[in-house]
Amino acid sequence: MTTTPTAPAATPAARARALLRSPILLSILGALLLGSVMLLGAGGNPIEAYAAMVDGAFGSTQWRNTLIVAVPVVGMALAVAVPLRAGVVNLGGEGQIVLGGITAAVVAATVDLPMPLSLVAALSAGALAGGLLGTIPAVLENRLGVPLLVSSLLLSYPVVALASYVVRFPLRDPGTGLPQSRVFEEAYRMPVLFGIGLSAVVLAVVIALVVQVDSRTPFGYEVRLTGHNRRFTEYAGVDVPRMVTRLMFTGGGIAGLIGAMVVTSVPYRYIDGALVVPGYTWTGLLAALLARANPLGAVAAGVFFAALQVGGFGMERETEVPRELSSILQATVIVILAATVAATARRARTRKDTAVSERPSSPEGGAVRTRTGTTSAGEVDS
Amino acid sequence: MTPRKAEPSAESGGDPAGEPRVELAGIVKRFGDVVANDAADLRLATGEIHALVGENGAGKSTLMSVLYGLIAPDEGEIRVAGKPVRFRSPVEAVEAGMGMVHQAFRLFPSMTVAENVVYRAETRGTAGLLDRRAAVRAVQDLSERYGLRVDPRARIRNLSVGVLQRVEILKALHRDAQVLILDEPTAVLTPQETRLLFDVLRGLRDSGRTVVIVTHKLGEVLELSDNVTVLRDGRTVARLVTAETTGAEIARHMTGRAVDLDGHYVPGTPAAAVLTVEGLTVGPPTGRPVVDDVSLTVRAGEIVGIAGVAGNGQLELLEAIAGLRPSRSGSVRVGGTGLHGFSAGRRREAGIAYIPEDRAATGSAVAASVADNLAVGFHRRSPLRRGWRLDRSAVRDHARRIIEHFDIKVSTPAVAAGTLSGGNLQKLVVGREMAHDAPVLLVDQPTRGVDIGAIENIHGRLRAYRDAGHAVLLASAELSELMALADRVLVMFGGRVVADLDRADATEENVGLAMAGIPASTGAPGTGS
Ligand SMILES: Nc1ncnc2c1ncn2[C@@H]1O[C@H](COP(=O)(O)OP(=O)(O)OP(=O)(O)O)[C@@H](O)[C@H]1O
Ligand SMILES: [Mg+2]
Repeated sequence: MTTTPTAPAATPAARARALLRSPILLSILGALLLGSVMLLGAGGNPIEAYAAMVDGAFGSTQWRNTLIVAVPVVGMALAVAVPLRAGVVNLGGEGQIVLGGITAAVVAATVDLPMPLSLVAALSAGALAGGLLGTIPAVLENRLGVPLLVSSLLLSYPVVALASYVVRFPLRDPGTGLPQSRVFEEAYRMPVLFGIGLSAVVLAVVIALVVQVDSRTPFGYEVRLTGHNRRFTEYAGVDVPRMVTRLMFTGGGIAGLIGAMVVTSVPYRYIDGALVVPGYTWTGLLAALLARANPLGAVAAGVFFAALQVGGFGMERETEVPRELSSILQATVIVILAATVAATARRARTRKDTAVSERPSSPEGGAVRTRTGTTSAGEVDS
Repeated sequence: MTPRKAEPSAESGGDPAGEPRVELAGIVKRFGDVVANDAADLRLATGEIHALVGENGAGKSTLMSVLYGLIAPDEGEIRVAGKPVRFRSPVEAVEAGMGMVHQAFRLFPSMTVAENVVYRAETRGTAGLLDRRAAVRAVQDLSERYGLRVDPRARIRNLSVGVLQRVEILKALHRDAQVLILDEPTAVLTPQETRLLFDVLRGLRDSGRTVVIVTHKLGEVLELSDNVTVLRDGRTVARLVTAETTGAEIARHMTGRAVDLDGHYVPGTPAAAVLTVEGLTVGPPTGRPVVDDVSLTVRAGEIVGIAGVAGNGQLELLEAIAGLRPSRSGSVRVGGTGLHGFSAGRRREAGIAYIPEDRAATGSAVAASVADNLAVGFHRRSPLRRGWRLDRSAVRDHARRIIEHFDIKVSTPAVAAGTLSGGNLQKLVVGREMAHDAPVLLVDQPTRGVDIGAIENIHGRLRAYRDAGHAVLLASAELSELMALADRVLVMFGGRVVADLDRADATEENVGLAMAGIPASTGAPGTGS
């Protein structure tokens, strides 16, 4: 929604109140509180633990580790958030990131190019592969009505298996007994400048592009409206199936790019499972949902989750507190957020029922089929 | 905490001087800097039908939400039987004897009527299980007593709007509602369903209950109600006894000026054909089509009306022309261009604009801002688009222009469209579609839920739109609307066009006969449906 600066509610006091009531802040505070109670119950010191966590994530040298984890998490958050903006749920991130990674690895192992060209080729090939994989479920839904949510998820399994095969057989490094590729040539290694990997810079450019398109272009405007009410934009003449294809290409492309960038960073080789086991996809999905598909929000949430994870290690080192506390905090944030969002959606629905809508809709989140199609209640962004 | 049973002394006709059963006094409700209710008063007597009227955005729905505990007022008092009460939620209002028939029905589609009616107020049998037989019996009792014809075992998802509304009423009665609130109940009903509803409401009044009905149709107010309360700008400006007033007087109180109640038909000057539909058939690949071999022509400078009981294919016909629904066969042409295989977007480019029947589900995104809702369709062209960007200030200016031109009541274009009152949301959709200035305008129920002043306004604009040389195809369930606007009337029945009447032949009687499926030429004159 476009919020105009002339809106009367934009006084600093009102903005502060809105922030206090914002479900995100509420859920984070709630999680910290619950964490404190658990720490106290276990005889720990919450202040010490949280301080160690913050230091572990943002301390003088630690922030680099956070950044390294944040790149894939934030990237995968965008891979979900971009289509989710239009109400399209991309659950295929795992396949997309893996395909991007293995494609980049294949390029690195087989194509001999000089420095900047080599990386450009590897990253674009990875992004393209991820993007094409992302469009398959979109086309299946547009043409055959196969639900995108399901097909995107299911497509990941064969892709992950295929990548596993490629790295175990054709690409395998015979020098080690592990399922991993050889270390790439110098030309296929992402450089590090002032302690910041080039990956972070590339991702920053992607973020800037996504935000610009989302907030400034006619296309971004159509996407946001489609997220609010798909039937409305269809009625207004927007080609929604084509939009879904483009969004899935972009989302999958970002995931593929991330896969390619992770692979071409330290340790400069494709290791089977390295893109799956850390759970980048699912942490990113949570971040995108937490931000309700707002791109900048997804970035912030991604950084937050990455910092929680990395900080958890620091905390475990410095105090007796196990780093599982990070997972507990993350889970609590999600649960509280889901509850408050559901509650506000319910309240909004009650109000809307009496004021605006004149179509039958069921009370408990379901949707009644009407002559004109379904009016869905409680959508992602309502 | 309150007397539930009605005193038998209730005189129908209602006496505003007696002790009111429920009183809302000095209700104030603000939303940001919008004052929805500004010292509104409402007194409801036992055994009366009370009409609450006012222009769009006058605060009627807000006041009803206060009475039903959905909204807490900022100021003012609710008194039930003289005692001040506070409803913190609808549950408490229901306990105090309130009942509301929601506009958007809140029923479970996969359950039966009986299960829905008793939901959360069920008799439990052994082991706390739902006693289905008792539920069915309870529904049968109620529906017989008040003439609410419903099959208790039918599943909700198979029922029509009119029947769903009866289920909602049963639900309220099952909870022993003494005050029944209906917010624009007839907006979605066919004339027959409206008749039935009114009979039921009269029966409820005669049994000593109080009925509050919000409506924009003055005919209904005069026919049905005993007393009228008029709101203007959130304030109660008049309390009238229906038998002692006239439609013109009510309208004057609503608007603060004299209103021309029955819009006068002004003939258009039709020129060349603009929209040509030939043999259009819509429906599933096999089975009965919903639009059956329809051919029609709309000329520039002409309004062609489509009459018909709701659900006879009007909606599907317009959607197929607009490209929102595939057609089985037939052709649609605008000017010289055949639209075969055109998407909705390309049809709009070819010169079709469309005011849909359902403003909230189709015609707008209620969660998005008013400005965003008004920009749709203009956002890929100059001046809203500048280079690759959407110019925010141009979007705002565009919105302001339409808001001003169509007199939409809204504080700023930045608020969500869903906060607009029903009639103002309608004006938003009408305003946006007319602003396209397309040669063909498809219009479905343009004044549903719109107040009389705005009806006059929208009708005037539709005529002006026609007179600017555009072709208008207008579907309406209101015969009076067609009479006020249409240069020619088509009647749809069972998906077919069964009558094509010139203005002179389009008497209410002829149209009414054709709507009932009786061909005008052979139908015996006299008893219309
Ligand atoms: N939740 C809300 N937030 C902001 N403004 C609101 C909200 N609900 C109502 N309003 C505003 O309050 C005013 C009164 O609205 P209300 O829905 O009560 O009007 P109404 O008399 O029912 O109109 P209509 O006949 O069009 O249904 C309108 O200006 C509306 O925009
Ligand atoms: Mg209303």
